[in-house]
Amino acid sequence: MSRDTMSKWLLMALMSLGVVRELPAGDPPAPAGAPGICQLADNRIVGPRTRNRPLPLLAGDAAHGFHPACTVSWSSVSPNNQSLPVVGCFQNSLLQLDNDSACGRGTGRLWVSSRWVLTSVDLQREQSHLAATCQRLDNSAVAATRDFLPDCVPQNAELPPRGDARLAVPPGAPASAAGVTPGQPAAAAPAPPPR
Amino acid sequence: MSDGSGDGADRPPDTHSRLLRGALHSLLLAAVALFFLNFNLVGTASPSRRFSQDLVYAWFGDQAWLYPREDTGQTLRAPTQPRVVVVILDERALALRGARWPVSVQFHAQFLAELEVLRPRAVLLDFLLIDPAAPADVCDLLSVAARLRADGIALYVAVTRTDDLAPMDAVDCRDAAGRPIHASQVFTAVSVERQADDSDFVSRRYPFEQLSGDGAAGQGLPSAAVRMYCDTTRSPGGCLTRLIGAQAAGAGFELAWSAQGDSFNQHWSHASCVESVSPMRAVLNKPALPRESACPPVATLFATALLSPVEDPTLGTTNEQLFDLADGAFLMVGGNFRGSGDLVTTPLHTLLPGVYYHAAALQNLFAFDGHPKVRKEFRTPRIGFYLYDLLVLWVLAAIFLWRQRQLHGEHPGDYSSPFQLFSPAARGWIAPFVARWPTPVWIVGATVLLLLMASYRSLQLIAVAAIVVTLVAVELRVADKSEIRQRARGLWLYLGALALSLMVIMLAVWVGYRWLRLPPGDWLGYFSFAAFGFFVAHTAILEFGRRVDELYVARIAGGGAP
Repeated sequence: MSRDTMSKWLLMALMSLGVVRELPAGDPPAPAGAPGICQLADNRIVGPRTRNRPLPLLAGDAAHGFHPACTVSWSSVSPNNQSLPVVGCFQNSLLQLDNDSACGRGTGRLWVSSRWVLTSVDLQREQSHLAATCQRLDNSAVAATRDFLPDCVPQNAELPPRGDARLAVPPGAPASAAGVTPGQPAAAAPAPPPR
Repeated sequence: MSDGSGDGADRPPDTHSRLLRGALHSLLLAAVALFFLNFNLVGTASPSRRFSQDLVYAWFGDQAWLYPREDTGQTLRAPTQPRVVVVILDERALALRGARWPVSVQFHAQFLAELEVLRPRAVLLDFLLIDPAAPADVCDLLSVAARLRADGIALYVAVTRTDDLAPMDAVDCRDAAGRPIHASQVFTAVSVERQADDSDFVSRRYPFEQLSGDGAAGQGLPSAAVRMYCDTTRSPGGCLTRLIGAQAAGAGFELAWSAQGDSFNQHWSHASCVESVSPMRAVLNKPALPRESACPPVATLFATALLSPVEDPTLGTTNEQLFDLADGAFLMVGGNFRGSGDLVTTPLHTLLPGVYYHAAALQNLFAFDGHPKVRKEFRTPRIGFYLYDLLVLWVLAAIFLWRQRQLHGEHPGDYSSPFQLFSPAARGWIAPFVARWPTPVWIVGATVLLLLMASYRSLQLIAVAAIVVTLVAVELRVADKSEIRQRARGLWLYLGALALSLMVIMLAVWVGYRWLRLPPGDWLGYFSFAAFGFFVAHTAILEFGRRVDELYVARIAGGGAP
């Protein structure tokens, strides 16, 4: 039994005994799965995950704001279906491409949402455990001004999604198949991450 | 109410005249009951009626007969109704793109571009785009919007007036071919006005339209959900005319609601989406409504999850969960910002971001196939729906009078409670038992007991149960067999008439809800007449009627003109 598993069982046992009454509210929560993709070096974009739909690209920067530039197919930014280096990153949400021409001139280096592309970091991460998200609706009635962050404790972090929810990578599925966009021919499979 | 024969009151009436008299008596009783059922002096009856409706939705809102909505989380692959998905923007989502509240036009432009990948059927921006914006940002937004329109994705934007989008048109935006892009061409302006009941400020109703000034029904700006629904029909104009034009000015439809959360939300919700709200809790004096909507009844996608897979890695490596949810769905984009005040009090008395109001309304329209429930007060002709009430109460009153006749024969003058609390034998036993103590002692003792029961609600249920058991025990001990038989007969008659009345009410509810589209608040009052207590309270009118009848018959017998 690993140390993590033991700790989990110990925590569950303590909670069932009522010893752990409440988890302390500390710093603003780190997103599940941290560290984010912006904290890891040598990240590369290995392919799209848009169901073969065009990728929305953004122009601009954090100082002046981002704005939509155009939508292009994956083959337009990677004609040979090669992995692309990430030259910039913003808030784990935007990845900057080494491309300033896909949407015409004068756009500067373009950005793409990390939601729509698969990166080498994603491929590495999917082989590790799957973490739950932590969201809540702010529907409390407070007679005060705002400016404080909600305490968000991922109580269901170890629970599998319910209902129709499925694991990102089905148990037992070959890791090499997980990154292939459905419908893509085998020849169009993204290039493996660089070593 | 004579049979009109003029033969006097001494002769027993024949079957025909007895039936006629019974029908007229029950009609009179039903009319009085109808009046008191709708008696609403200074609006005091409205809160209880509306709260009763809220309880019905809290307890049975997950039942298909009451609210046939689909759970998105369970029908991702094969839905029969169009999916409605709320997309929540919050401070964290803005921060992911370096933006801050208030949401800028620039952010909306890039967010729409992200939504385009999902190929939704329609997108509602529940934001008022009235803040000044740079011309370049406006043109970005209109360009993206035009592209979505070209892809067949309908775009709706919230406005407070029809000219809210005019400043956007003032910016001379053009597409790649040099053609001007007008905001009114790419966005459909919709009203996001909210209706709430005056009595408790709960938003149970959804307006059909936003009228300006003294405009007539059908002349206003359609509300978001109404417009979005009608645009899915073959004849949007005809749909709008049917929904809006047929109602009274300022009308709204009732929002059916469910305490059950959409199971898709279990992705992110701390709370269980399987809410079990039982009527038994109300019986036990426990909170009868859920305390909060930690798992809303509409599938919810947080913008943070959309903008960053790090925020939500459970949507699938290839985003399969995301596409299954949003592809072809109606995306209702709204804000959840602290201090913005955009909260709605739901029919379950919980608070949710305002965009859920529109999402729930659209779900209602889909669930009821474009025929939502509308209160009688907004229907035309109004009197027709009250006639339906009268008809139902007439049948219930007839059942009540039939039971009375079975108990009391042809002269059912005794309209006391359905079966008297004590038999003479029991009274004869209890009174001497109490009389063992001096009057001040037993009165003070009874007062203290009642005071305790009034103060501690938990005692009430116990006390009622104890009293019933004690009375039954006393009756069985002291009453003779014939008395017990008589009381058992009365009890069976009561239960039989109650069952019959409930069947009539079930039928009336089915017709009223399914066909007349009346919300629960408009038919829940029938149930109060099933137990006969409410009819008993109004039977004085029958005595008056009988007296008038006797005077009439006497006058005819004396040779007077009718």
